[in-house]
Amino acid sequence: MSITGVKTDRPGQAVLLTGNEAVARGALEAGVGFASSYPGSPTAEVLSILGRLAAEFNLYAEWSINEIVALEGAAAASFAGVRALCVMKPDGLNVAIDFLTTLAMSGTKSGLVIFVGDDPNAHSSIKEEDSRYLAKLAHVPVLEPATVAEAKEMVKVAFELSETLRYPVIVRGVTRICHASGNVVLGALPPREKAPCIPPEERFLTNPGAVPAYHQKQEEKLRRAAELELPFNRYEGPAGAEILVIGCGPAFLYAREAVASLGLTDRVGLLKLGLTWPLPEKLVLNRLRSAKKVIFAEETDPILEESVTSLAARHWSAVGEISFFGKNSAHVAGPFGPGAGELNVDIMVKALTAVAGLPVPEPAVSPPQDPPFAPGVPVIDRELAFCAGCPHRASFWAVRAALELDGRNGFVTGDIGCYTLGLGRTGYYLLRTAHCMGASVGVAAGLSKLARLGFGQPVVAVIGDSTFFHAAVPALIDARYNQARFLCVVLDNGTTAMTGHQPHPGMGINAMGEKAPAVAIEEVVAGLGIPCTIQDPYDIRTTVRVVFDLLQQNQLHVLVLRRECALTAARQTKKPRVYVDQERCLGDACGCVRFCSRVFSCPANIWDAAAGKARIDEAVCTGCGVCAANCPQQAIVVEGRE
Amino acid sequence: MLINLIIAGVGGQGNVLASQIVAGAAVKEGLTAVVGETFGASQRGGSVMSHVRITRGREVGPLIPRGQADLLAALEPLECLRVLRVFGNRETRVIMNERPNYPISVLQGEAAYPSLDDLKAEIGKLARLILSFSATDVAQQAGSPVAANVVLTGALAGTGFLPIALDSYRRTIAELFTGNARELNLRAFELGLERTGRRVAQSPRRLD
Amino acid sequence: MFSEQGGPVELKTQVQDRNMCTACGACAGLCPYIYTVREKVAVIYPCGRTAGSCYRVCPRTPTALGELDRRVFGAPRTDHVLGEHSAIYFSRAQDKEINARAQYGGTVTALLAFLLQQGRIDAALLARGNGAAPPEPFVAATREDLLAGAGSKYSACPTLAVLPQAVREGYRRLAVVGRPCQVTALRKMQGLAREGQLPHLPAAGPDIFVIGLFCFWALTPAFYTFLAQKAGSAEIRKVDIPAEGLKLTLAGGQELLFPVDEVRPLIRPACPDCFDPTAELADVSVGSTEYDPAWNTLLVRTPAGKALVEEARAAGVIALKPYPEERLPLLRRAALNKKRRVLSAQKGDGYLHLPDDYRQKLQGGIA
Repeated sequence: MSITGVKTDRPGQAVLLTGNEAVARGALEAGVGFASSYPGSPTAEVLSILGRLAAEFNLYAEWSINEIVALEGAAAASFAGVRALCVMKPDGLNVAIDFLTTLAMSGTKSGLVIFVGDDPNAHSSIKEEDSRYLAKLAHVPVLEPATVAEAKEMVKVAFELSETLRYPVIVRGVTRICHASGNVVLGALPPREKAPCIPPEERFLTNPGAVPAYHQKQEEKLRRAAELELPFNRYEGPAGAEILVIGCGPAFLYAREAVASLGLTDRVGLLKLGLTWPLPEKLVLNRLRSAKKVIFAEETDPILEESVTSLAARHWSAVGEISFFGKNSAHVAGPFGPGAGELNVDIMVKALTAVAGLPVPEPAVSPPQDPPFAPGVPVIDRELAFCAGCPHRASFWAVRAALELDGRNGFVTGDIGCYTLGLGRTGYYLLRTAHCMGASVGVAAGLSKLARLGFGQPVVAVIGDSTFFHAAVPALIDARYNQARFLCVVLDNGTTAMTGHQPHPGMGINAMGEKAPAVAIEEVVAGLGIPCTIQDPYDIRTTVRVVFDLLQQNQLHVLVLRRECALTAARQTKKPRVYVDQERCLGDACGCVRFCSRVFSCPANIWDAAAGKARIDEAVCTGCGVCAANCPQQAIVVEGRE
Repeated sequence: MLINLIIAGVGGQGNVLASQIVAGAAVKEGLTAVVGETFGASQRGGSVMSHVRITRGREVGPLIPRGQADLLAALEPLECLRVLRVFGNRETRVIMNERPNYPISVLQGEAAYPSLDDLKAEIGKLARLILSFSATDVAQQAGSPVAANVVLTGALAGTGFLPIALDSYRRTIAELFTGNARELNLRAFELGLERTGRRVAQSPRRLD
Repeated sequence: MFSEQGGPVELKTQVQDRNMCTACGACAGLCPYIYTVREKVAVIYPCGRTAGSCYRVCPRTPTALGELDRRVFGAPRTDHVLGEHSAIYFSRAQDKEINARAQYGGTVTALLAFLLQQGRIDAALLARGNGAAPPEPFVAATREDLLAGAGSKYSACPTLAVLPQAVREGYRRLAVVGRPCQVTALRKMQGLAREGQLPHLPAAGPDIFVIGLFCFWALTPAFYTFLAQKAGSAEIRKVDIPAEGLKLTLAGGQELLFPVDEVRPLIRPACPDCFDPTAELADVSVGSTEYDPAWNTLLVRTPAGKALVEEARAAGVIALKPYPEERLPLLRRAALNKKRRVLSAQKGDGYLHLPDDYRQKLQGGIA
């Protein structure tokens, strides 16, 4: 987590880097000149770092409005002779896929590498989509690092490969790469050369008259990629092993550790693939000839598994009878079943045990989990919650209150960001839909259009500021044009909070830390001809009235609930002191049933069991004072507010 | 050599930073470190965990298998037990911050947080050794309760279980921070160190 | 239909969902789970209680009128049409500034100003509005505030919502000006407070002087949209609903008159169920005269009310004259008709719990 390591110019030195830092370092070692991204977990830190180092390394870095624009910009750099890195989450690749499929047809010039971070188990995002399907769709090669060190090397090789083929190349990490850390040996940092330029004769077209010819060229490039000698594809283990593990990414390491822990190192061969699409067929075929049982270790979907089984079917007479074990056979499966969730050593141990016909190993966990050995101190689950002082909590409370006052069974559509938590307890279970970036607006518009068929419920879309810029604008234009009538609430906390406070167009600063012309949400909305109101959600009572009034209007309206993210605000200002006057607090005699700690759900509002009164955890409290306004006894005191 | 350390806590407590200090210090010692991290839940009150694996040049994956934690540094008592039940064994040594961080369901009165004595008793039964104190209170002495993570890291360093010289931790902290934050965290580290340094110096039990 | 006790669920299903809420504001001021906006009151989150103050203070949950009479007057009522009272007058303010701002005689503002000036109250709970939107309740602590709250409001401002707030802010001696439903709710609150069952209002106080307003119905907030449509772009200076209809006085002095039937559809659905057009539980009740717009009708009810009226007259704050003999039957008939309508519509399962003799006397035509 240190930018120092990424920029250190001491070739040969080992430093600890995260996977995302290693990707950034690899790009710098490859002489990257252009980097673009939209913040998304688990890859958000790559561009943050390159942005901060942009001046020092004479490169351009931007947070783009969304991933397709990011990729278009990166392609442009490539056309002009500049090595370009484009970084995204898998959902981002969905957004960029339209351009990527055509870019693969036209081809590129200077190295263009797309780094995608998938999130098996959805640790830090909302889906565990396997991006390799889209890579296959676009006919683009995929490299997959197994370690942080390999991530750095792979990015460098990917730039070379991209230039060799004049073709985009995807490096696909998973959360256990992006958010992992490991030793990385630093390489040389080359100076960047020559100014970008496109010679008069160069064109990058997808001519509608010649599509099959483009397609033919793409197939040819994939064949060349499959035949490359890459250091990332390697075999370890006994020659002629009957049991063969084929794996990639961290899953390969889990399988290797499982093999070692079961004492199977002499019996099991391990084929690690760094290039997972297209399949390096010759290499794989070589190993299949001796294998009788093949186990796959990959996340999340059975891409290698399907490529290899298809290869074996085509070469059945050469490879003979092989049994395949993986997701399709349900042998490689975690608690959610095959293909769902991430892998680990224990899952691979289970699979290998079954395949190798070994007795199930004793659980290493000691002592046993079950009573009577464990007396059963309850371990309570932790639900995710809005942070202390989060303005979203106030916003959700106000919208909920307004909808209840309205009394027409209002329907709230949700979107992607911190405020997706509005589907849970600390958002008072308000969200009724949650899908992809921008979907709140399109779904709300669609519902409200049903008024013509008799739909009578008011509709509210809830979307964040960064997501608004990313994906709301076309849907709002549609809403106006097609006369949708709903309230679009933009929760504007002045940052991209979910992924770590990256700048967005509304903030007046860019990825490189330079001042940039801020794009005000209200100006965009005004430009669309949609009325817009701005309100501070911390003033809950007024916000309730404003939302209520807007619901009565039954018109298309954008309400910006604007209040800085509590995390960034806490860094900047001296916070007011908020405490409970326990003389005033009536405790359980109040009748409020512990409103502040039980219902309003700010982590700073806690119950002082000893006193039987409410209390503020001042270590957590950000001093927003919203709870004070809600206390029926006005027992919460705010001191030192500006 | 393979040492498996888990740092457990709640989003926002600074798990990631603690793991970066330990792993960064290990790399300075010429060791190989890998950290498996989940920080999507950071700042949002979820359970978080960092797996730190330290070897001499051996390449391992970022996740520790069940029951194979050698060391558990817990920033929060309930998280300590949660992680110990899955990843602990009879040889696991535990260092724990005694300050609870209440789940929302406890704040809302739906669930009761177990007593610290019950938690410590159960952890004591499951693990080989438990060293616990309020790292949050010590951090407060250092200047901010937020530095409990670094206090606990200092205590972990002080045990001598890890084959890492104290100076490597200090240099790592100095690299990760600037200005006041550097001073605060170095102070927090030293105060944490004092909690375990002396007692372990008498009987160092390095895990390698 | 009604339960003996209830919490927010019962309040919602038995009162709010049936459009029987009068927007008195009593429950909303006590509770963080009940909000009021634009004269709507709603439970916005289930607090989980099965019995609560919200249900007990509501004027449209079971209401034992005999008990309330005993609490306020110490005895059952002797007048079943206008409620207990010791005198009835025509009254008006003697202060020119108040006359200029008042709807009719300015009696309410004059009494409040007298109480404030004498240091006998710290503040009054009033409604303040510009005529273009529903008025908002507020705590009036100065003469200027009182003047800002002068003038009739024809919709249901939830004034009681600010009562607990005023008490918390340290106002111990208050005047409340309210519609009959609000006076009922306030008396229920005081009863609970006295028994120590309403922790937000200390048992010892506050000391509240209650001025009730005559009210045969209040209008929904849709009235303000209606007004805007009628006035067009012109600014409305005054709204009045005398016997002849709805009268709007515009900025240029122009007057518009509309038949009262145009307004009737805007009556709050709860109002036709109201048994109390003259705020029978107040210390004094004030209304129009339906006769002379320069004067008010003033009913003096409690000893405290009587003392104040006499002192105010002695101090030259208000002028009194006898209520015209020939007009009294008109007022009594209007009140009695409303009561009888409500009684015949209520089939034993209503909110109103009347002692048998109350009921008999009303049905027996003692008017």
